[in-house]
Amino acid sequence: MAFGRRWVRIAVLALMLVPATIVIVLFMLIPAVLTVLISLTNLDYRFIWEWIGLANYQKFITDINTPIFVKNTIIFVTGTLTFNVLVGLFLALVSTHVHDTLGTLMRALWYLPRVMPSVIYAFIMMWIFSPMDTGFLNTILRGLGERPVAWTFHYYWPFLIIVNGFIGCSFGMVIFSSAIKSIPQDYIIAAKVDGASQLTIVRRIILPLIKWQIAFVVAYQTLSLLASFEYILLTLDGGPGYYSTEVMILQAYHLAFGQYLASMRYGYATVFVTILLVIGLILSVVYWKVFRLRELMAEPKME
Amino acid sequence: MRLKLSTVLLYFTAIVLTLIIIVPLALLIGLAFSKSQVTIEGFTLDNFNFIRNGILFQENPVYSKLYPNVYTVTVNTMILAFGNMLLVVLISSMAAYVISRYSFRGRSTLLGTFLVIHGVPASVLLIALYFLLRQLNLLNTLAGVILVRMSVDLPLGVWVLKGFYDSIPWDIEIASLVDGTSRLGAFYRVMLPLVTPGIFAVALFSFLSGWGEYIFVYTFIQSQTNWTLSLLIRSLVGEMGGINLALIAALSVFYLIPVIVLYVVGEKYLVRVTIGGVKG
Repeated sequence: MAFGRRWVRIAVLALMLVPATIVIVLFMLIPAVLTVLISLTNLDYRFIWEWIGLANYQKFITDINTPIFVKNTIIFVTGTLTFNVLVGLFLALVSTHVHDTLGTLMRALWYLPRVMPSVIYAFIMMWIFSPMDTGFLNTILRGLGERPVAWTFHYYWPFLIIVNGFIGCSFGMVIFSSAIKSIPQDYIIAAKVDGASQLTIVRRIILPLIKWQIAFVVAYQTLSLLASFEYILLTLDGGPGYYSTEVMILQAYHLAFGQYLASMRYGYATVFVTILLVIGLILSVVYWKVFRLRELMAEPKME
Repeated sequence: MRLKLSTVLLYFTAIVLTLIIIVPLALLIGLAFSKSQVTIEGFTLDNFNFIRNGILFQENPVYSKLYPNVYTVTVNTMILAFGNMLLVVLISSMAAYVISRYSFRGRSTLLGTFLVIHGVPASVLLIALYFLLRQLNLLNTLAGVILVRMSVDLPLGVWVLKGFYDSIPWDIEIASLVDGTSRLGAFYRVMLPLVTPGIFAVALFSFLSGWGEYIFVYTFIQSQTNWTLSLLIRSLVGEMGGINLALIAALSVFYLIPVIVLYVVGEKYLVRVTIGGVKG
């Protein structure tokens, strides 16, 4: 009888876990290993496996364009991250200090770009900042009697940071807002009684209390920004000019799936990806340890 | 009752911030109903003529042959969104239950794997996934795109639903077990109804993620018959980007309708997915 019960339990476990495990192994773990393996071959349009050891990595280190991609990645990640965290924090602070109806509406609207299909969002943004006379901003400028500005040609980094940031900042906004809302009102009221100004309250009470959430958002978004290229691909596609906004992951995409003769170089493309994958894995393990430990240490305070 | 200057400033800021984010959407809608093809002028419904029979540029025999029927493309987008939704909900609701309620060898490893994978964006695996789909003969099929999209959304689904299962007290389940239901029966009859909000959140999230998908479709699909709306709009932007913005905007509005409807219905659930997905 006991044996039967145990068998049933194992059967139930297997039945419910097997699909998820298969999916994760087949579409996540195997591709991750495969990525590293491909980077050791010169796989290209002929789809022939030929082991060439670390030659791709040697090429990556000596290639004259590599510093450009690395520099672009650093600019893109730090710029967008700064925008995301600061704007997200600002939105969270404003929306939690106005009347709740307005605050909720504000957060709901700022969350919208996140669920909007990326092609639509990119299309509108390109039209607003279009360098042509028919672009929205230039139409307004001409209406005021000013000269049109070639926005995306001259200010491509600010443009990309805004495009990505309008989506990225809502993540921080949601997390910070729920953290701010869970701060006990007594702290705020006590500070007000002591005559603290609103800014002092934000600086001395709210920010210190949500510093872990801020650290988490920074950590999490560094990881996702390192590997995000969808909105760059849909707007400037690495241009204007010679690789001016080509980040590492976008270069990998172009090397593999680009429209030019130079594409379908899967072996070399996966070098970029493997480097990002290793950085990503190290970072996520570190984050996991940090946040896990914190959770274990944070005993609920009984007061 | 004296209005403080800081309060006025605060509300002013809040209203400005609210308006800023409405601008892109308002412009899109304005452009979709515009008489001019490149700026917002006047009001017309002509840009929506494709709704009648799904044919773009009906008045132009050359152009109209270049693009697939809008309704074929819409059906493809639906298949992708619903397929993704069903698979994610089905697989993650089962796996999350086991992870939440049973202790077994390897449980924490499994959870850790889910969390780490969730943190690494899928775009880095594109090349290997392309190769994998090629080996499985799934390139240029919607099924291939659905499988890949689903595998990307799955860890988050499991993570969110585990949180929902965790929040349900053991007593409810034990009570039903005492009454003689089996473990599976308890899961199906007692637990599933209780986590309906979680299921709804995950369903909404995975539907929208399939509906708006671009990169996977663009990378894995070649033939026009398997296009989705995102690819159709993208190709129009590439070829008509400077000529006929109004039509692209009209198609975009058409593409956005389900998104807006679902968003109004379930915005608070979606936000829960964001928060639930990051409770480390």
